[in-house]
Amino acid sequence: MSTFRIVLAQFCIVAVSCVLLGAFSVQFLQSELPCPLCILQRMGMMLCAAGPAWLICRARTREVSARDYAECYGVSILAAILGGAVSLRQVCLHIAPGDPGFGEPMFGLHLYTWAFVVFLTVVAVSAVQLLLLPRAPERIRIGFMPRACVGLLVCIVAANALAVFVEEGFHWYLPDNPTSYQLFQDLHLTAPNAPSTP
Amino acid sequence: MDTLIFLLILATLIAQWRGRHRLAGVLFAASCVSTALLFWHHATDALGLSL
Repeated sequence: MSTFRIVLAQFCIVAVSCVLLGAFSVQFLQSELPCPLCILQRMGMMLCAAGPAWLICRARTREVSARDYAECYGVSILAAILGGAVSLRQVCLHIAPGDPGFGEPMFGLHLYTWAFVVFLTVVAVSAVQLLLLPRAPERIRIGFMPRACVGLLVCIVAANALAVFVEEGFHWYLPDNPTSYQLFQDLHLTAPNAPSTP
Repeated sequence: MDTLIFLLILATLIAQWRGRHRLAGVLFAASCVSTALLFWHHATDALGLSL
């Protein structure tokens, strides 16, 4: 059962990482710059994945108890509520009939609607994990795969920090509807307001 | 601001990996609060109520 729990934690990290990589591919392959609310949803997803990552990090060094599981999945649920609120707001912004929405839809739904589905799924999976708490502390062997999952998450967060820095430039906030990478404009590498591709 | 929050999340993950669980908790809380405040800013900017 302990193996199942750690596999589920890895699955959570990989699933969220895939969604974040998908958002990254839309940004770079389709040259669709993320708006501030999209960035906030990315942050929410990363914080959701921080819960299972924390569990793996704890299991790496010591026995994990029910309290450890509860703390890690409580962290995920808190982050999912935060991210869900952001995506729900963006859904409501574009809910009026005739509104085309922000960006191109994917599989019939916009990215922020998919994000809301992801946050609901995180809450559900975390609740299932909380139902399966161990009765006694258990020692779990952490092999290569769980470490690789945490490493993947760290790389994605670092890449996002870099991408957002390029998009935001030396400004405190992102514009509501970004059309170009601000850093390139700040450094006079592109014409003002000209769409730029990396 | 957005970049700083991503760096906070990155610091949270690194603190978790290095076994600094109390620091990771503090950084996680700081990340959540910063994200919530940034959301508040974007949600209320048009109303003139932003931070």
